[in-house]
Amino acid sequence: MSQRHVLPVVPSRMTLTQIKARLQGARRGHALLKKKSDALTVRFRALLREIVDRKFRAADLLRNASFRFAAVKYVVGEELKHVVLEGVDHAETRLRVRFENVAGVPLPSYRCVTVATDASTAFESRENGAAEALNPSRSRVVGATSIVQYRGLGRGGQQIISCRDAYQEALSALVELASLQTCFMVLDEAIKITNRRVNALENVLIPRLENTIAYIVSELDEQEREEFFRLKLVQNRKKRELARSQATELRARERRAAQALNAFDLNSFHEALGAETAAAESLLEQTTGHDPDLLNI
Amino acid sequence: MTETSIRPPDGSGDRLIAIIGDEDTVTGFLLTGIGDRSTPEPTFFVVRRDTTDDAIAEAFERFTSRREDLGMILITQNAANRIRGNIEAYEGRVPAVIEIPSKDQVYDPRQDTLMQRVQRLLGIRDR
Amino acid sequence: MDMLTFNADNGYLEAVVRGLKASLLRRNDYTNLAQCENLEDVRTILNSTDYAPWLQNEPAPLQTQALFDCLTERLVHDYRSVRSQAYAPLSTFLDYITYPYMIDNLVLLLMGVLRNRDLGEVLDKCHPLGLFEGMATLAVVTSPEELYREILVDTPLAPYFAECVSVHDLTEMNVEIIRNLLYKAYLADFYHLCVKRIGGTTGAVMASLISFEADRRVINITLNSLDTALRKDERVALFPRLPGGLDDEVVYRLGRADDLQAVALAMDLSGTYRALFQQAAEREDHSLEDQFLEHEMKLLREAFDVQFHYGVFYAYFRMREQEIRNLTWIGECITQKQYAHASRVVPIL
Repeated sequence: MSQRHVLPVVPSRMTLTQIKARLQGARRGHALLKKKSDALTVRFRALLREIVDRKFRAADLLRNASFRFAAVKYVVGEELKHVVLEGVDHAETRLRVRFENVAGVPLPSYRCVTVATDASTAFESRENGAAEALNPSRSRVVGATSIVQYRGLGRGGQQIISCRDAYQEALSALVELASLQTCFMVLDEAIKITNRRVNALENVLIPRLENTIAYIVSELDEQEREEFFRLKLVQNRKKRELARSQATELRARERRAAQALNAFDLNSFHEALGAETAAAESLLEQTTGHDPDLLNI
Repeated sequence: MTETSIRPPDGSGDRLIAIIGDEDTVTGFLLTGIGDRSTPEPTFFVVRRDTTDDAIAEAFERFTSRREDLGMILITQNAANRIRGNIEAYEGRVPAVIEIPSKDQVYDPRQDTLMQRVQRLLGIRDR
Repeated sequence: MDMLTFNADNGYLEAVVRGLKASLLRRNDYTNLAQCENLEDVRTILNSTDYAPWLQNEPAPLQTQALFDCLTERLVHDYRSVRSQAYAPLSTFLDYITYPYMIDNLVLLLMGVLRNRDLGEVLDKCHPLGLFEGMATLAVVTSPEELYREILVDTPLAPYFAECVSVHDLTEMNVEIIRNLLYKAYLADFYHLCVKRIGGTTGAVMASLISFEADRRVINITLNSLDTALRKDERVALFPRLPGGLDDEVVYRLGRADDLQAVALAMDLSGTYRALFQQAAEREDHSLEDQFLEHEMKLLREAFDVQFHYGVFYAYFRMREQEIRNLTWIGECITQKQYAHASRVVPIL
């Protein structure tokens, strides 16, 4: 581990505690993010499959709708296209956007709603005053759009309605798909960011904190050893000084003892000492010639 | 005249659906009432025989970047294939760009930019 | 009566139209067309008919829209060449044939005006057979009132407007209602022209054709207004009523019908349409519209059985229209790969 993987800190017990707290936090964060990433990925996988399914379903619905449109053209003629294209005024079918929260990521969801515009409500209420009062939900029915109102009255009205319904169905499927698709993009990004964070924690921050802790610990150990050494040093010096002082004291005492001895009667001491030694010598002489076990020295 | 619904700043609220495609498909979808002409630029674009790629691209850019009231853009695969570059370059989420089959072609997911991404991810993550 | 003088003015054109009628596609042509895999095959088959010159300039691959445009062009060409050689009163009769297109165009223009659209663009979408004088000055029109004053009063449709639609209604009324009111007035006028002013064999033949058209509209309007906001008195007001058409009793019942059952009951009282109605219910892939078309084709064919009358002109152009419908349908089925349905057309001959 090189030096740059260690945070620039002053190694001390306090920073050690701080860094340890940070490491704990990072580990907890990592665990949480990992969980989040897993949750998102599970959702994402389900989403991918759903998108594929829905896409093909929508394609089928649309194929049906196109075919219905051909049927309309057969009965009504090309003219309908122009009338419809020219007849567009205000969008009565709109998307209502809602946001749903998945693991902290806002996912938009769309819904198709029919908004009664002034023109159509005015018309409806004028044309349909009594029925409207009896059946107030009528204008909210999806597909009660004014663009097809009375369209093809003379010929092909039923074909137009069935074609409109087919497109309505396809549109609903496509709107669902739009929600899924947007979720897909949001989740894709969210997962990427989360994984990036997980990786950053896992590969950069946590090792760095660990290294820092190791560094601080080793620094602290070093300091401790130095302290110990210093203590020992002082102790030894103290001991040596103690020993030296004791030695001088001892010598002083011996000197004092010798002076006391000198004051004693040396002569009488010598006499007594001489008698004793003569007796010991004669004993040694007696045994020398007779004893084979004794070596001749 | 009704105003287009006012949207709160968080982006929720009602949005419009735009469509780019051949005349029949556009007309069919307009029957459901998605069309809007309350602004000078309508929310639909008809690709005719003489429509140039540039015109389609222009319409697509208009829908994706210059308008803010759209929630979803439907585009037929035929038209999408002609401006594939623009579609791949579009990174926004709202409006969502959705490719729909052209009426005279069977839907081919391999040409769909989104489906390519999806299937690639499914392929990789499935292993 | 007609026989003495008819050929003097109209003999040539009648012969032309009868010749053109012989070139219409027949049942076996449709069978062959329904087998096609793509539109180029369709082109190959059509190249052996007299559509060949009309299709030859279309670049491959042929598209349904292009096919439709070519067929329409052909129809317009046929009409114009016949019209340019016609003497009165045949010329007037031929003019009347184009009024439905004119009504469609006017409705389209009216919508354009109401939506403040660029009328030049709208004009491009108008059917060529329904063009009328004053279209060039359309660009100055900005309101329905102006449209009425500047353009409509000079068209042959002006009397119809005067009859049923006020200037105020142009802005207030649903354009589809206007369309149907105009069509009602047109049918009455056309009937009057054929029966009263031209009369003779033409009157007899056309009376049945126009009555059928009127009856079809009555029934269709009833069926199509069942679940709508259209009031019953408004519905009845749209019914074109002609002598020789549906019985008063039937019409009265249709005017009051609330659901399909009531319509079916009313239809039981009418001999001709009861059968059509029942067949439509029995045959799954046939709608009532298909039944009507089949019946109409039968009437049109019968018109050709009689000589010395203008009905053949009407019949020919209606048949051509049906042929365009059929070919477009086949084209759509083939491009949408719905091959199984391609044979579901109403043959003309």
